[in-house]
Amino acid sequence: MDKKTSFQFFLIHPNVVLLEWNETPSDSLLLELVTFRKLLLNKFETLIQVTQGYQSLMLYHSHPIKKRDVYHAELLSLFNSMSVDLSSKGKKWQIPVCYDPSLAPDLTSLAELLKLDKSEVIDVHANATYTVYFIGFLPGFLYLNGLPSALECPRKKQPSPRVEAGSIAIGGKQTGIYPRASPGGWHIIGKTPYPLFRPEQKKPCFAQAGDRIVFKSISLEEYKEMTYQRANGNLIIQPQ
Amino acid sequence: MDHTAMHEANALLGNPKNSAVLEMSFQGPKLLFHQPLQIALAGATMEIRLNGKKIKPLNLISVEKNETLQFGNVLNGKRTYLAVEGGFQSETVLGSQSQYEGVTKYATLRKNEILHTAGSTQNQKSKNLIMEVAKSFKNLIPVYKGPDYALLSEKEIKRLTSELFTISVQNSRMAYVLEEKLTPHEASLWTGPVMPGTVQYTPNGSLIILMRDAQTTGGYPRILQLSDEGINCLAQKSTRDPFQFELVEI
Repeated sequence: MDKKTSFQFFLIHPNVVLLEWNETPSDSLLLELVTFRKLLLNKFETLIQVTQGYQSLMLYHSHPIKKRDVYHAELLSLFNSMSVDLSSKGKKWQIPVCYDPSLAPDLTSLAELLKLDKSEVIDVHANATYTVYFIGFLPGFLYLNGLPSALECPRKKQPSPRVEAGSIAIGGKQTGIYPRASPGGWHIIGKTPYPLFRPEQKKPCFAQAGDRIVFKSISLEEYKEMTYQRANGNLIIQPQ
Repeated sequence: MDHTAMHEANALLGNPKNSAVLEMSFQGPKLLFHQPLQIALAGATMEIRLNGKKIKPLNLISVEKNETLQFGNVLNGKRTYLAVEGGFQSETVLGSQSQYEGVTKYATLRKNEILHTAGSTQNQKSKNLIMEVAKSFKNLIPVYKGPDYALLSEKEIKRLTSELFTISVQNSRMAYVLEEKLTPHEASLWTGPVMPGTVQYTPNGSLIILMRDAQTTGGYPRILQLSDEGINCLAQKSTRDPFQFELVEI
């Protein structure tokens, strides 16, 4: 494996440090971030949270960080001596998506923008495998990498004031699922009946960074049936 | 929103500093007490009526069973914190006793809702303490340099550190958008972590100060970071309130 790129260290608050890797996001960098995050949480008692981005980690300590140079050196040493399990791939999840126009308000306009048929947009989207890079923006919002370049598009000029919960959308080089209603500037191309964030569960979000997602196209009838199952608490997703 | 006031209210009753409190923003509710209880108040001063009669604003109030306490408008600042002995016994969800949209059933308290407390442990009434009505909240908000501070020009740094900024009508527990704008830019960053107090600089020049309920990631440059004191101080301001940034070292 190539030598790991080192990170930059920013103290942004007495208790908080931002580590940034000056490297284009990739699956190998993702694996390093996920591994390092676990290592740090196990190592430092005062570390209460580590948030991840495409190329960064934010470390929140419960107390001000003393002896910053020593701490910085320790982090570098931990990172450089860390071993990464290249075979680890995380879980694979299949998310049912209904691409019916009634649930996909931007499918037509997006297809026009991309100069593709609607069915082509659906095929390309549903045949790709996506990697969960991290979770952020909203509880349960998965940042998915791996959008085929044919589907890349700028964000909507005017964001929609309300995107429905479960909406699958595309924006820039990314695709994602809105876990709950929120304003949003991405193009909505489908909807999943599956609940994405359940605070009452031990693991409120079913996926974690490093997992993979595939979308499975379902009909409107199947969508309605699954929505009904969900209302009865019978909709459970299992890893593949 | 204002941790200093929250801790102060709890300290007045000898509570652990993070015991659950009521946050009353701009104006407060009318509370009916089902048992005798001592309450503590900190933060902004609100008009108070005990059993319908206006009373002096106090930090500690002993309330009897069946009495009502009504909170009116804020007289200074924007948010008042009400603590009870042992804290409010709200449900713990994902490790927190707070309410949050999409996580707890409701994001705010509702009419006729019953709030549970640990109950009063002391029989004797403590002396009622008078609140500082004349308290004013500072206009200087301490900030540190953010991770993307280097994106700012000399001119913009000067603006940020010497001019007055105003909170726009777009403000909430998630973020405060400022009225004034900096120059538009084209910096495009990969989405990364943000935290309460992070000041974002959007492509069209807007400045957004993330507050306590902020999201955890963002793609806009993070030019400044409010200190804890800065967030607590800003929390006592709202629409059209002016303030100034004060750049400090960590």
